[in-house]
Amino acid sequence: MGRGPANPEVKKKVLEYLAKVEKAKSRDVAVAIGEKKSDVDDAVKELTAEDLVEYLYITTTYICLKGKVKTPNS
Amino acid sequence: MTEKKTPLLDELEKGKWPSFVTEMKRAAVKSESAGELLQVLERSYVEHRGHWKHGGIVGVRGYGGGVIGRYVDEPETYPNVAEFHTVRINQPSGFFYNTKTLRTICDIWEKYGSRLTNMHGSTGDVILLGCKTEDIQPIFDEYSEAGFDLGGSGSCLRTTNCCVGPGRCEFACYDTLEACYNITNEFMDELHRPMWPYKSKIKFSGCANDCTGAIARSDISVIGTWRDSIQFDQAAVKEYAAKNFDIQGLVCDKCPTKCLTYNSQAQELSVVAEDCTRCMHCINMMPKAIKAGKEKGASILIGGKSTIVQSAFMSSVVVPFMKMEAESDFEEFKDLVRRIWDWWDENGKSRERLGELIYRVGMGKFLRECEIPAVPQQVFRPRANPYVFWQQDDLDKSGTALDGSKL
Repeated sequence: MGRGPANPEVKKKVLEYLAKVEKAKSRDVAVAIGEKKSDVDDAVKELTAEDLVEYLYITTTYICLKGKVKTPNS
Repeated sequence: MTEKKTPLLDELEKGKWPSFVTEMKRAAVKSESAGELLQVLERSYVEHRGHWKHGGIVGVRGYGGGVIGRYVDEPETYPNVAEFHTVRINQPSGFFYNTKTLRTICDIWEKYGSRLTNMHGSTGDVILLGCKTEDIQPIFDEYSEAGFDLGGSGSCLRTTNCCVGPGRCEFACYDTLEACYNITNEFMDELHRPMWPYKSKIKFSGCANDCTGAIARSDISVIGTWRDSIQFDQAAVKEYAAKNFDIQGLVCDKCPTKCLTYNSQAQELSVVAEDCTRCMHCINMMPKAIKAGKEKGASILIGGKSTIVQSAFMSSVVVPFMKMEAESDFEEFKDLVRRIWDWWDENGKSRERLGELIYRVGMGKFLRECEIPAVPQQVFRPRANPYVFWQQDDLDKSGTALDGSKL
């Protein structure tokens, strides 16, 4: 990561895909949207900074749309 | 808060050793969450089961790690620990703090958290135990203002860790403190934004005594070594002999490769350098008489981990010697690590650590695809190692088939 700004098209595709699922590994997102994993990682980095996507740690790390997955006690 | 009885926990306050129960009770005087934590733990001891749930939100804005969600399974019964998240703070290299720094860490934690800490977690972070979701961002902001950063959690580079190195140890073969600091700064994205199949750890030990436990606990172990021969001070050897130190029995006989010879008449040691595995045993036993060689650096080992998908693994040597002094040396290391991570990210299954992937697909494939030259040190027993296969190209070039016939 850290190669420069993320591709806006990839960011859009990531958001669209995450709207269809509860949560996903970033590699699964890359496969599903047909983009390079590293480009998806860059997009996710920016989307989390923009508060649109968040990370979840449930035995391994997933990504999801912000607020889509509820915490255990909510 | 009404004090409730904890007879089982009280048993753990007996004896001379400092008790974690005593510390928790002290924290409970001013912290209701610490008090309820005692109640939950006592109940777990009675019922023989845990009452904690794990998961969910893991960080602050832009971060994917550093906070581990913890929730009690009966929030109505224990409202003060309904959310009891763990915060990891990236520790300084070698755990060197001044007292002001420690006070700053504790002052912020007293303001927001349970007052309980764990110094340090298994990856080395300052562990702060127990805070509410609403306080995570303010906690991060205040620590950030004070010059601290979060550590790693989740499927990312976990907080890198090193031994005290040349800061306090004569055995360090490279500057572990500088290496850890330099490489942590380089891989900030990998530390804070989990992107991999699972966690990855780097630990820096200055010598084969391996005070960070790198060989057993890190995916990428950087262990100090030397390329030339150990050095003797024969006058000091004679001093050990004069004090009736059993040089033959305690040093030479316990050398794993029997590369050391002691001449009891001359009271001198000699070594067959090419047989020495740099294990540090002789240096540990006779530090005044035996020193590491002059050409120092590190061995890079890959694949150590504790048990989850597969059993616990020890790391395997992939680069027997790499200089770790100049920025160019660190660049070589970083380039190697990036190739390895890319390969793992491309090929690893979810929750599969690097060592488990190598175990599944073979060391030969790992070395070829990461463009790491195979070296004799990677071969445990020639022709008996299941990880080493001749490639068809190599056979064609040799002109000889495996059965010895001409191709």
